Amino acid sequence: MSQPAAIHLSGVSKRYGRTLAVDDVSLSVAHGEVFGFLGPNGAGKSTIVKMVLGLTYPTAGEIEVLGQPVGSLAARAEVGYLPETFRFHDWLTASELLHFHARLARVPANARTERVPDLLELVGLKDRANDRISTFSKGMMQRVGLAQALVGEPRLVILDEPTSALDPIGRRDVRDRIRELGERGVTVFLNSHLLSEVEQVCDRVAIIDHGSIVAEGKLDELLNAQEIELRAGEGAEAAARKILGKGGVRKVNGRLRVRVANDDETARLIRRMVEAGVPVYDVRQIGDSLEDLFVRVAERGDV
Amino acid sequence: MSTHLIAFFTLREALRRRVVLAAALLTLGYLVLYGVGVWFGYRDLQETQGGPPGLTEGVVSLMLVGGLWSLNFIASVLAVFLSVGALSGEVDQGTLHAIAARPVRRSEIVLGKFVGFTLMLAVFIGVSASLMILIVAVITGEIVGGSWAGPFLMLLASMLLIGLALAGSSRLSPLPNGVIVFTLYATALIGGVIEQIGDVLESAVMFNIGVFSSVLVPTRAMWDMASAQLATGGFVGELSAGPFGASNPPSGWMLLIAFLHLALTLGFALRAFQRRDF
Ligand SMILES: Nc1ncnc2c1ncn2[C@@H]1O[C@H](COP(=O)(O)OP(=O)(O)OP(=O)(O)O)[C@@H](O)[C@H]1O
Ligand SMILES: [Mg+2]
Repeated sequence: MSQPAAIHLSGVSKRYGRTLAVDDVSLSVAHGEVFGFLGPNGAGKSTIVKMVLGLTYPTAGEIEVLGQPVGSLAARAEVGYLPETFRFHDWLTASELLHFHARLARVPANARTERVPDLLELVGLKDRANDRISTFSKGMMQRVGLAQALVGEPRLVILDEPTSALDPIGRRDVRDRIRELGERGVTVFLNSHLLSEVEQVCDRVAIIDHGSIVAEGKLDELLNAQEIELRAGEGAEAAARKILGKGGVRKVNGRLRVRVANDDETARLIRRMVEAGVPVYDVRQIGDSLEDLFVRVAERGDV
Repeated sequence: MSTHLIAFFTLREALRRRVVLAAALLTLGYLVLYGVGVWFGYRDLQETQGGPPGLTEGVVSLMLVGGLWSLNFIASVLAVFLSVGALSGEVDQGTLHAIAARPVRRSEIVLGKFVGFTLMLAVFIGVSASLMILIVAVITGEIVGGSWAGPFLMLLASMLLIGLALAGSSRLSPLPNGVIVFTLYATALIGGVIEQIGDVLESAVMFNIGVFSSVLVPTRAMWDMASAQLATGGFVGELSAGPFGASNPPSGWMLLIAFLHLALTLGFALRAFQRRDF
């Protein structure tokens, strides 16, 4: 890959007093990628986002954004950001807020007058364009925040939980917007708790826990690791452990749950169990969802 | 450069905020009261027969300086209220995140806010002081108010407070910052009184305490210089000492100290805000 990554972190750590919020994270997001960043509360997602934006300084490590060192004004001109708190100066009207951000993002005047109403329509706030943000509901503030993030026609969009306050229709709209951005070649970095959201829009994901990345890759690859449920005779658990020679074997409601890498491994396991004299009555695949993966990773700290 | 964008934004915010509206209404009410006071005072003055020459002009000047002293006080309070949460308060609320992620330097945010608040105070002092001079002129027919340096020194006093509050706000949350800035402001006020008493009692210690407080926060010294500029008319200048000014105004060195003070507080604000985490 000759083109520099849209976001590149190498060995980044962040310490707040005694808490190590981010612990030696290295990560690359390619141009045009829609990247999902998952993790439980307090994992360090927002801290990483703020470091990428130059709002917070890393204790150690290097960060590059759009091929420039973090904080460079040239790179920032091409980045759009929706903060987790989506709080804006609420004495402004929605339209004024967008105009102000467009000016900060160096959008020329004639482009501003066209783009602002378009974006307000896009996020469903056309009727409220000239109302003060202080009169908005939470979801409306998040919508105006999304429009704000897009007002500079950025090449990189960083969204920190963009749908936390939205209704189901709003969430679907945001998913559609993200897909559109992806199709236009815009890089999207999406922090989210909503696994379905990430599942639906992201090309690649990383899961972070306690400041470290515990899983990273293409979504289908990550989800390939699956679990099967067996109803088998005496000694099944011991046999399975011996055959696989690793963990990932447990008893749930009297049935055996075994984690396997792929279907071949499932076939091999059953054959060897039967050879070892353990009867297998029933095998069922437990569909592994991103949620399972997330919970597993967050609970045990491994995949 | 986005400093001017932030400055106008800050000015616009200040104009829309309740603090400014409250200060404007308060000042308007005060100006009305003041006009009534001057009207009665001037009538009594004219009924007084005899007295030394220049008495009328002197007393009118004294009334104006007293009135401007109150405006200076309101301006100082306004300056602190506007700027005390300008940086940390906004970081804590999250309203600065999206802005600071734009191609804007942190220094431009700090300087823009400083310029915006200064413009705000310039408008406030300019309009209210002009109105006051106009009220006095209409009622008494005397155009007093001395040189233009007076209102500029009043503005400088407010700028010192803005610089101080921004320096504190780069790290401290609004409440502790406000407490510290007002304490320093009060120290300078009390220090001025101590200095005067020390002067009268010929106590070097008291005098030096006063001078030290003026160097620490030169707001009071700026007013003392301003009142010397504003007061016109011989012996009554002495009278205007009292609570409204020093009997012997600070030397020009104080101006240099004030500018140094401003450079220091702003420098600190820029540095500390540059380094802080959001
Ligand atoms: N300003 C700060 N001062 C001290 N500690 C902080 C600060 N900001 C974050 N932390 C700590 O850093 C860790 C990571 O926080 P962060 O906000 O990045 O989590 P997150 O993954 O975004 O969580 P959430 O899903 O709840 O938004 C937490 O332990 C948090 O307490
Ligand atoms: Mg977060």
